[in-house]
Amino acid sequence: MSDPASHPPQPHMNPYLAGFGLGLVLLASFVVMGWGLGASSAFATCASTCVAAVVPEYAMQNGFFSEYAGNPLKDWLTWEVLGAITGGLVSGLIANRSRLVIERGPRWSRGKRLLLAFAGGMVMAAGAKIGGGCTSGQALTGGALLNLGSWVFMFSVFGGGYAVAWFFRKQWL
Amino acid sequence: MDAPFFKYGLFSEDASLLAAFLIGGGFGFFLERAGFGSARKLAAQFYFRDMAVLKVMFTAIITAMVGLTLLSQAGFVDLSMVTLKETRLTANLIGGLVLGIGFVIGGYCPGTSVVAASTGRIDAMIYLGGMFAGMLVFGFAYPALQPLVESHSMGKVTLPAFFHIPYGVLVLGVCLMAAGMFLAAEWGESKVNGTPLTPTSLLGGGRRTNTSRIVVGGLLALGLVAAVAGDPYRGSTATVSTSELSRLVDGKADHLVATDLADRLIAGRNDFRIIDLREPQDYATYHIPGAESLPLAQLGTAELRADETYLLYSQGGIHGAQAWILLKARGLPRVYSLYGGLDAWKDEVLYPALPEQPTAEQAAEVAKRTLVSQYFGGQPRSGGAAMPAVPQSLPPPPPPSDAPPPVQKKRRKEGC
Repeated sequence: MSDPASHPPQPHMNPYLAGFGLGLVLLASFVVMGWGLGASSAFATCASTCVAAVVPEYAMQNGFFSEYAGNPLKDWLTWEVLGAITGGLVSGLIANRSRLVIERGPRWSRGKRLLLAFAGGMVMAAGAKIGGGCTSGQALTGGALLNLGSWVFMFSVFGGGYAVAWFFRKQWL
Repeated sequence: MDAPFFKYGLFSEDASLLAAFLIGGGFGFFLERAGFGSARKLAAQFYFRDMAVLKVMFTAIITAMVGLTLLSQAGFVDLSMVTLKETRLTANLIGGLVLGIGFVIGGYCPGTSVVAASTGRIDAMIYLGGMFAGMLVFGFAYPALQPLVESHSMGKVTLPAFFHIPYGVLVLGVCLMAAGMFLAAEWGESKVNGTPLTPTSLLGGGRRTNTSRIVVGGLLALGLVAAVAGDPYRGSTATVSTSELSRLVDGKADHLVATDLADRLIAGRNDFRIIDLREPQDYATYHIPGAESLPLAQLGTAELRADETYLLYSQGGIHGAQAWILLKARGLPRVYSLYGGLDAWKDEVLYPALPEQPTAEQAAEVAKRTLVSQYFGGQPRSGGAAMPAVPQSLPPPPPPSDAPPPVQKKRRKEGC
């Protein structure tokens, strides 16, 4: 974690150029694997595998846990997420953006921010598993494949976000 | 060389994990490059302060969309083999709303939270913990949520199929829509923040070319090519290897017999889609449990996928066999017809003629086939009894008491 004063973080990449790079990665996934990107299911696999290890009989008869439980080290998405951790780390180090901080607006306390981060993660898990994916697997991947359901999902994400943004403005602004 | 490489068997399952790591690496790299390791930057999207989420996301979508369309139109990629999620409008709509709310509360979506955590954001690490806990809670609540998650599926539907617009034309439309959104986003940012347009943006910078204009303009130009380059799906132009087809038929690798189908349905091993080729009204009167209706006339243009297995049947055996050749010509690798069609299904499964005085070695077989017939709502007929009338509306078969359910879901291997 570098010192912000002597090594200021570099400005972000041009958003269109970053999007183009991201799009080429997604295209590579389509051509090489035959499917797109994902993220949330790696956590479903992780959680289900833990449940299956503790209460195997229950996990087998639960439609969700039985579907996702399996060796995470043999799971494509687990390795993709491990790659994303590495790729993000490399980019952050190059640009001097890696530092231990809590992201929040100036008027919001650390404790409340961490509480909402945890709550947001929980809500996100439910949304992703109800909607059939998250911003990566549905919006980005399905968007590029012109999947009807993914486009409905994508506009719902923006709709849901804008609908409640006002209530959480103090956390961010 | 045919793509998608993995689905054409060009590398192993183990090697696919290395590909996952490399693809994920690129994914994380560009998310961080864009600044998506910061919750404040992501959340600013929802206050119109910084529209980077929209710009990056839609540039990525149109890049991959245009690229995949052009590669498919050039015949390099088989688009029907790229995995498409099923459309469930209710679940997609509600899930999207919940996810959008979670985005504003938590500040991240799953992919960006991973990158933020790896660059030291403590709130992102906590968020990941929340997501793990959320998966546990969701799993335990799944029996109650299942009706919503598995609400009505429209199957795999693309926008071009849904709106009856040629694929390439819709691709160009999405490119134009994205470009319009980019311009509106830049204008909105400058209004909300009260700042002038930067020279690196699409709108700012006078008449000079800049990176933004080259990227977006280039994608629009490629979108225009896609619009006039024809249907990206392989199909009408595919050729068949006649020697291969005759070898398959000769080796009986082209069909499944009715009793085997019945056994597979009962054992829950039917990992294929059963297609009823008859007219919809015949299908409504009676069909094999789990079958979908797809009249033969629509087979040439229906959206079928090379990574799925199809079993075709009609009243007799002829239409099923003809459809088999049709789908083989469309390049689908795993297609079978039901030998003898629905007539054979009635003759051998629903109302099998069983010997009245079975010999000792026949007894087990007779008992089994009686059970199978009753499972599907039929009744064995003895000796010379005439075939019962065509079943008008058979009740759906009761679930077996101790056998697994007839339709077993394949584990979702990919996707988010």
